[in-house]
Amino acid sequence: MNPQKLSDQLLTAMINADRSAAAALVEQVLASGVEPRQVIADILDPAIVRLGQLWEAETMSLAQNFVASKIAEDTLLRCIPDKADNAHGKGAVVIGNIEDDFHSLGRKTVGLFLAAAGWEVHDLGNDVPAEELLAKALEVNACVIGASAMMQTTALNIRKLRQLIDEGAFAGRIKLAVGGAVFNWRPELVAEVGGDGTAHNAIGADELFMRLQAEARGELP
Amino acid sequence: MNSYQRVMGTLMGQPVDRPPVLAVLGTYGGKLTGVDLRTLFSEAAAYVAGQRAVQKEFGFDLVMTPFVYTAIAEAFGGETAWSDRQPPNMKRPGVRSAAAVLSVPLPDPQKSPSLSIVLDATRRLADLYKEQVPILAVLPGPAIMPSLVIGMEQWMETVLFDEELSRKLLDYTAAFFVSWANSLLAAGADCLVVTEGTAAAEIAPRTLFAERFLPLLTSTFPRINGPKVLHHTGGRIHHILDLLPGLSGLVGVAVGSKDDLAEARRLTGPDLNLIGNLDNLSFPALSADKIMEMSCRCLRVAASSGHYILANAGADIPLTTPPENLRAMLAAAAACGGG
Repeated sequence: MNPQKLSDQLLTAMINADRSAAAALVEQVLASGVEPRQVIADILDPAIVRLGQLWEAETMSLAQNFVASKIAEDTLLRCIPDKADNAHGKGAVVIGNIEDDFHSLGRKTVGLFLAAAGWEVHDLGNDVPAEELLAKALEVNACVIGASAMMQTTALNIRKLRQLIDEGAFAGRIKLAVGGAVFNWRPELVAEVGGDGTAHNAIGADELFMRLQAEARGELP
Repeated sequence: MNSYQRVMGTLMGQPVDRPPVLAVLGTYGGKLTGVDLRTLFSEAAAYVAGQRAVQKEFGFDLVMTPFVYTAIAEAFGGETAWSDRQPPNMKRPGVRSAAAVLSVPLPDPQKSPSLSIVLDATRRLADLYKEQVPILAVLPGPAIMPSLVIGMEQWMETVLFDEELSRKLLDYTAAFFVSWANSLLAAGADCLVVTEGTAAAEIAPRTLFAERFLPLLTSTFPRINGPKVLHHTGGRIHHILDLLPGLSGLVGVAVGSKDDLAEARRLTGPDLNLIGNLDNLSFPALSADKIMEMSCRCLRVAASSGHYILANAGADIPLTTPPENLRAMLAAAAACGGG
């Protein structure tokens, strides 16, 4: 097996929105005896990282994001059909659309990429009150909460989550990632709602959460 | 020269006293009349009172029919999430899958309770403003319409991975798009603003739009009996602007706030009206002077050769926007409208 070559092929399938070619490739690799975790770590993950790099400089549309996430999801389901088998090596995170926000697609895509990258993802869904996001994070010992909003009006509801984190003196151990279309449109909104960081697209979520986790653990200067 | 003459004159390339100014102030009407948003969008009289208040307070060159897409989602059986701070959102789509839509009867705009409210409001606005202030009706484009029926995720899944089913679905819901558009015109709307999300660079790349969605605009627009403006729903539209001139009945294109107006003119040619491109999300935080400066910049770039309407680029202007910031747009048209 040449992981680099296979990862290139998977990347090509993602760019071409060729879901069936991606599925066939993963099936073929698994059938040849490669460990499922190796498929994720050596083939899927590098393809996702490079896809993010390719689209860093230009607009990555919702459609392109969706195709890539579905291919990642297909690959994950083939490699770890039983979620209990996943080691979730990177730790727990909580994600959800903040109260009053019902635009779920971006959040779900982020959840898929985070799971693909090895996070234990607790997705609380749409219209989640700030209190619930924080309570879940404390329950599962998450170091990052990812709050999603598409509209400016709903993004402002994230301020309550910031307030709860600060009031409870959790700021040192729980970081707040924010995301959604409006944050790409108005980057200054990240600070306005009290976010500790954002990513331009779902593929960048893993890198962001890794950085925030390191900050929460005091591993960054 | 009244607002109707000013807008129609601009659209037809005739001389006008100043460039028209549009601002999307649907929910703002409720703020002015002290009505909660659920009432505003559920009672035609309340909505029209809001538009009258907006017109009286500011005098922009339009009145708008209700910008409430959950009315369409409800007509297909969906559920609405109401909020005090923003227009309603679709909480749950009415149909579970793309395949299932094909066996669901299309709503009759005249009989659907939620759509009837929009038509009633349109008729009332026409009674008040016909040929004085243009009545603009906003509706979702034919390619994004299925997302209001089955939800965005199901729609994306179908478009991207089941081309045959997506074509059947689009053909099916296109009939509703046409009937809804013609119903709005028959009720008194002067012009339709077709908000086609798939035209935004943030939603679909150029090739996907050109191959799958543009043909739908090409086939449906000739069946609609009135002028149309294509709107990007709040993103950038530069990547497909050159594909749009020549669409049947298309009189204008809304240009996104991150699009370049001069480049937009180059891409569309001299005769298509450009509308925009102020960033309405920034309106609450900026000073009136800054908004006037931004407006004058737009006018200097785009108004000198006509075929330009100053407007905010996105959907509803935030409720927290101070009135003086809105008046700054009109002041700019008076001060800088000569180009």
